[in-house]
Amino acid sequence: MSDPVSLTTDRPGQVATPTPPAPGRSRWLSDRRLAVAFIAPALLLLLAMSVFPLLWALYLSFTDYSATRGGPAHFVWFENYTAILTSAQVHTRALTTLIYVVGAVTLQTVLGFTIAYLISRRTHGRGLLTTLFLVPMMLSPVVVGLFWRFMLDAQFGVINSMLGSIGLGQVEWLTQQRTALISLIVVDTWQWTPFIMLIALAGLTAVPKYLYEAASIDRASEWFRFRTITLPLVWPLLLIAVLFRAIEAFRLFDLVYILTNGGPGVSTETLSFHVYKVAFLGFNTGTASAYGILMVLVVIVLTQLYLRYLNKLKED
Amino acid sequence: MRHPKRTGRISVAGRKVQLATAAMLLLATTVAACGGDGQDDDAKASAPKAPATIPELTKDPLTLSFIWFEWPPAKALEAFANEEYKKQRPNATIKVNTVPNANWHDAMFTQFAARKTDFDVAILDSQHIGEAVTNGNILDLTDFVKQNIDVKAYNPYLLAAYGQYPQAETGKRDENASLYGLPLLGDTWTMIYRKDLIGDKPPQTWDEMISAAAKCQADNPGVSGLAFHQANGSDAAAVTYNTVNGVYGGNLWDAKTRKIDGVVNDAAGQEAMDVLVNKMKPLTAKGSGNWFIDEVNAAVAQGKACIAFNWIAASGGLLDPKESTLGKTREQILDKLGFATLPAQKTNLVPLGGMGMHVSAYSSAANQAEALNFMKWFEQPDIQKKWAAAGGVPSRTDALESSEFLNAGPFNKVYADSVPRMRDMWNVPEYARLVDIENTNVNAALNGAKKPKEALDDIAKEQQSVLDSSGRKGGGGL
Repeated sequence: MSDPVSLTTDRPGQVATPTPPAPGRSRWLSDRRLAVAFIAPALLLLLAMSVFPLLWALYLSFTDYSATRGGPAHFVWFENYTAILTSAQVHTRALTTLIYVVGAVTLQTVLGFTIAYLISRRTHGRGLLTTLFLVPMMLSPVVVGLFWRFMLDAQFGVINSMLGSIGLGQVEWLTQQRTALISLIVVDTWQWTPFIMLIALAGLTAVPKYLYEAASIDRASEWFRFRTITLPLVWPLLLIAVLFRAIEAFRLFDLVYILTNGGPGVSTETLSFHVYKVAFLGFNTGTASAYGILMVLVVIVLTQLYLRYLNKLKED
Repeated sequence: MRHPKRTGRISVAGRKVQLATAAMLLLATTVAACGGDGQDDDAKASAPKAPATIPELTKDPLTLSFIWFEWPPAKALEAFANEEYKKQRPNATIKVNTVPNANWHDAMFTQFAARKTDFDVAILDSQHIGEAVTNGNILDLTDFVKQNIDVKAYNPYLLAAYGQYPQAETGKRDENASLYGLPLLGDTWTMIYRKDLIGDKPPQTWDEMISAAAKCQADNPGVSGLAFHQANGSDAAAVTYNTVNGVYGGNLWDAKTRKIDGVVNDAAGQEAMDVLVNKMKPLTAKGSGNWFIDEVNAAVAQGKACIAFNWIAASGGLLDPKESTLGKTREQILDKLGFATLPAQKTNLVPLGGMGMHVSAYSSAANQAEALNFMKWFEQPDIQKKWAAAGGVPSRTDALESSEFLNAGPFNKVYADSVPRMRDMWNVPEYARLVDIENTNVNAALNGAKKPKEALDDIAKEQQSVLDSSGRKGGGGL
């Protein structure tokens, strides 16, 4: 096989010559241009579907634009941002979202890791069990919301029917302030615990066996092995799963929309649900854009802090 | 080992060209996305006019699309129109697209916002008209109506409620105001009561109704005294409060001065909220705080409520033996269920429901012409009677008084008797936000998340702030 033809000059500063085309290909179509042509459709799609809307939303966030009213957008500069950051309505939704994220992600992490740990200790039927546990994750959140809404119905739902059969009273799952938020956390946990379980299981499977063998020789207790071998090795992976879940939970919309519609009152309205109302009830596009940009910023800043912590953990 | 050099590296000038190309692409995308024709900038804040006479109709096959929410009248309209309208226009097919009730406003107005609709006729709630007119989304039908519709055949308030903007005074019509729609389906609340449990004679006053419900609940364990809309979606809880507010002599606002704070939460308003939360709510089923049309119907059909309130247009299913545990035939069910107009108290007001037909300003010329032709056809006396027989609720007085209508359902007489008693909500561009504020606060009060007075004061304060914020810079919608 012959050596490849030198495509660039060795002399610095000299302008690079274009890649000669392969035999039978137009001279104009260099490798570089061919590469650009191949990735251009994907790049254009990304530009049109992600980059442009983000930049456009950023522009709108500084204006009083309304999508339905039309007309020119007038710059209000940081007025939208100031109004959002100082709004008591937004603070209430932020607190609800915080409680929801902390509650749901904590519960999912504890349950997901526990299930993964138990499955990892089984030798038979591990694959089947894992598949079964993954089923909720594969369902659409809207479908999950709808059937849980029926199940949690105070009058006709199967949950209260079961509680009644063991002599317990009816619970108003979706219409009382506390139980409504708890119901949302429980339903989200039902659907997304498998995600944490899957990541944790991957981490648990990757722990080298010889570490456990060495610990056995030293007659280390089960708890000692868990605390000093299993947990430290799985922890970084688990934290990444927690990061993904926290970001997802932070922008929760669908379950709220289907299960409680933000009620009773606005007690289960999350930030995303509130953005939806600002954007589509009054069509205050400028304010909604600023609200969305602020939410993205919060996620970016918190993610950065979290990743730094993860890196530090890795270095330690 | 010598590392291979990167091949095809681009010169500084080449990179500049690429950067410039990328910037141009971004700019082009921006211009393309914005329309680039200044359409938004030139958009007028008023509705375009429909022609006074119907333009020549196409002979080609055509589909006339409506948008409504999913409920029995939507299916009835599609079936009725395809059967009857096709006799006149065989090349036209009627398609009634439906969305869940909670998405109804969004489904229409997001398309209006895009200045492109996949429907030709929007079936708007009476309170949506202001928003659609102000944004120029629907055609001004004033000249068309003058030329083609016999306006004297209608109760003036019905014609005004489903078409006029600015909003008419309750019970009246301003003949000089513009019309943007024509009635499609009239509606109001009916009181549904269990004749076998509380007697044949319906309660005449609101107090009597509450007493009868309380007695019935006490006498019949497992059956709740009342069932009504309490959900915080759509306009469910808001209509419930507005109804009680009207019955107890309250007002939602002063339309002339655009004042809500101090009006809705005056003494009458507070009494209404107190009655609703402290006297009516304890008579409802546990966990009914998110009930709307379907849940109320389910409670009635399963024999779980003594007295219920629901929209007439959604009550047809109650007489279906397949969906009811009250009897094996329609007659057996009617032995147990009675339908009556709402009890009066300090006033006899009832909520105005129903919707009108409005032509999308973004529909094609051929479809707009077909839509106008359909509306003219639909408002004819014989068609209105046929619509009544098919399960619809007409608005023409002759159709309302016809035997076809009065015999079509036991609740139709309730509607006919209720027409002079109707009151609507605010028909202003800010309607969607006003109703959301009222819904969430009334729902909060009904479910114990807020005290009744606090909820009512919050409604007044927040709604007033929405009406006052038209000139506000930034933060609108919060």
